[in-house]
Amino acid sequence: MVLPLYGGSLPVGRFCAGALRELGHIVEVFEAPDFYSSYEALGRLRVTSDRLQYLENTYLQVVAQAVLAKVETFEPDLVLSMAQAPLTIQALKRLRRDGVATAMWFVEDHRLFTYWQAFAPHYDLFAVIQRGQFELELAGIGVSNVLYLPMAAHPEVHKSLELSEADKRTFGSDISFMGAGYPNRRLAFHELVDLDFKLWGTEWEGDPILAPLVQRAGARISSEDCVRIFNAAKININLHSSVQATELVTGGDFLNPRTFEVAACGAFQLVDRRSLMPESFAEDELATFGDMTEFLEKIQYFLAHPEERAAYAKRGQARVLRDHTYAQRMRTLLEFAAERLPNWPRPRTATRAVEGVPPELMVEIEEMLARLGLPPDASFEDLVWAVRQQSDSLSDLDAAVLFLDEWRKLYGQRGG
Amino acid sequence: MKHVLVVQLARFGDLVQTKRLMVSLCAQADCQVHLCVDESLVGLAGLLYPGVLVHGLCAHGTGLTKAPALDQAKAMLLGNRMVLRELAALNCERVYNLNFSPLNFRLVSLFAPEIIVGHRWQQGQEIVGPWASLAMRWSAMRRLGLNIADFWAWHHHAPVAPQSVNPQAKAAGSGCIGVVMAGRESRRSLPPKVLANLAGTLRDLRGGTRLYLLGSASEDRAARAFLRELAPRHSEGCLNLCGKTTLADLPEVLAGLDLVITPDTGTMHLAAHLGVPVLATFLSSAWCHETGPYGLGHTIVQASCECSPCLESRPCPMDVECLNPFADPRLPRYFATGLEKHLPEGLLVMDSSMDDVGATYTARAGADDWAARRMAFRQFLAGHLHIPGAMVTPESSQFASRLYSERDWLPTHADTAEYETLRSLYE
Repeated sequence: MVLPLYGGSLPVGRFCAGALRELGHIVEVFEAPDFYSSYEALGRLRVTSDRLQYLENTYLQVVAQAVLAKVETFEPDLVLSMAQAPLTIQALKRLRRDGVATAMWFVEDHRLFTYWQAFAPHYDLFAVIQRGQFELELAGIGVSNVLYLPMAAHPEVHKSLELSEADKRTFGSDISFMGAGYPNRRLAFHELVDLDFKLWGTEWEGDPILAPLVQRAGARISSEDCVRIFNAAKININLHSSVQATELVTGGDFLNPRTFEVAACGAFQLVDRRSLMPESFAEDELATFGDMTEFLEKIQYFLAHPEERAAYAKRGQARVLRDHTYAQRMRTLLEFAAERLPNWPRPRTATRAVEGVPPELMVEIEEMLARLGLPPDASFEDLVWAVRQQSDSLSDLDAAVLFLDEWRKLYGQRGG
Repeated sequence: MKHVLVVQLARFGDLVQTKRLMVSLCAQADCQVHLCVDESLVGLAGLLYPGVLVHGLCAHGTGLTKAPALDQAKAMLLGNRMVLRELAALNCERVYNLNFSPLNFRLVSLFAPEIIVGHRWQQGQEIVGPWASLAMRWSAMRRLGLNIADFWAWHHHAPVAPQSVNPQAKAAGSGCIGVVMAGRESRRSLPPKVLANLAGTLRDLRGGTRLYLLGSASEDRAARAFLRELAPRHSEGCLNLCGKTTLADLPEVLAGLDLVITPDTGTMHLAAHLGVPVLATFLSSAWCHETGPYGLGHTIVQASCECSPCLESRPCPMDVECLNPFADPRLPRYFATGLEKHLPEGLLVMDSSMDDVGATYTARAGADDWAARRMAFRQFLAGHLHIPGAMVTPESSQFASRLYSERDWLPTHADTAEYETLRSLYE
């Protein structure tokens, strides 16, 4: 899993890694954010602009080389990345040449993030959150393994909470919005200033009408606090973003992550209708609006009808937990990979971890597998990798397993 | 009231070509637009952009380069400092820094990098903005080209329609033709004999109109040479205005003309600004797709040799071969008949037109071998600029593969002003 260097899709990458582990896969994460501060630091060097461009491009190539080194060592069946992952075209070509399957889950608006044209053809699988025009355009540039894969929620994070009284006071309100201050949202929310309305998130500066409603001075909100906000509000507004403010309710296609996350929390949301919504939700699973008039009417209606809010929230949550978790998305992606990629995944000749284990250690080894989240029939190689991924000091048994693995590599002896 | 600042420290022609951006900013509600220019252009800027507050800096060299060091320091540290103080006090919401110049970079050190679009200064580091970086890459394929007026306009996320920038060209009905003597690079201008032949031909075709010779005092010599080359029947209708008009007078002179014959000059752009029809001669490093007159109703005679367009800074190893077709006796015949078969090889006659991206130029005569590629390039630009209805085609996406680099989709936090649309939908 190659995470993006920074940005909004970073949590999505982490949710994917968690979901893959939940499905029993061995996941190695390339922590691209660790390299971000150095990348930014180049911009403070005070060199000529052409030299700066050279340095930035070179640095990205170095980080991509680090990804390749990890791939060489870990030998994954699939390299999965997000849109702003530091996987250069050169690195992707090398992976293709070496027969390593690659996939990107492109969780952006293809009309705004136009750079997909440059890198999509270099991925073996390309998962997208939009259909129609985008699929045709991808096919037009030779990208044939395209999978429609909408956003999702991660139940480990996005869940119903029993909030303390203090949290209810801090995070609670009749109406809440959590997100960035895009132009359409700013204008739409001017209509709500007389209500008990809290605005959370960044980029709300410069609007004196909304300023009194902005919480925490517009600071970025952690994932954990987002969940508290969703749980605490009577109505979570979910208005999809737009960079223009001519049409406040744009009626676009994709569903944003918030749609799934709020629902997974068992919280009530009022969300603008999107063309791809019927594929993911039935009409009674989400309360929706199509224009500003309907938006304002439904706010008043649902404030006055708590039982209906609860009913929508319950149905929405059930639907997300059944069909729209990151685990389901990852399962779909891997099934698509198996269907589209020849001989994928490659069979591995691997010894089960528990084979050849002295009987007196069997219980401990089985406990070790369980502790590391591995299935009982996990291979010895997977066990070794999982032990290696631990960040704390290793136990004596952990160290002994690693020692055995290296000893066998040195001497090529597996014993009779 | 929001304040936005445009920094345009280049020349007279560049100032005029900033118009689409200026008009777009002036159209914003509750917004005071400021423009920082070289002090020599303050008057013209005021005429071009009424309602815009103009700030003049000592930026161009001119006479100050020969002045004693103390006088130079006074101009910069005392004079300019006052202006910089004014600019800093504006509390701008956005600063559009248009020129890739060390002076521009240092000027915008007054402002937080997050509010700067274009070239910015960040803790002492010059940083070329993403749109400008992309332009630098495509300029390696000069036969494509985007009009610089549109390049600057698209620093704005939604500039006004290109058709609304300049009036459609229309003759004043005065019976007068302006002839601009020369541009700043002699290789880009027609020699007096060739120019006189062309001007004489057009005068004949228009039934004996007056010719006004236009230029600064330094072009007076070229004007005299022109007059010597001009057939006597044309000289009597000729008025030499070289050195006799100021920049402030020029708009009034141009507005009264039926046509302006010109190389790629600031006067040409001013004529287009006023809606005066232009017949421009582009050769050597001048390329109409980059700096052609903006608006409908203009004509460009563009040299189109193997080596066109060249680089101004490099000597010509071809003995300025691109000039030859302009001197070809068939060219006057082409103007007389309008028949493509009479157009000398090595020339294109282009008509100005528009698309959603901005100004384009379509060949009326001559073989434009790059037209299809240019169209694919403009489709690519339309998609990149998020113009509604833009489609990605296999042809346009080839430009994406060639021009996009990883640095484009891996911005840093400080790229905020230009990357508003790249914030993840997760937010």
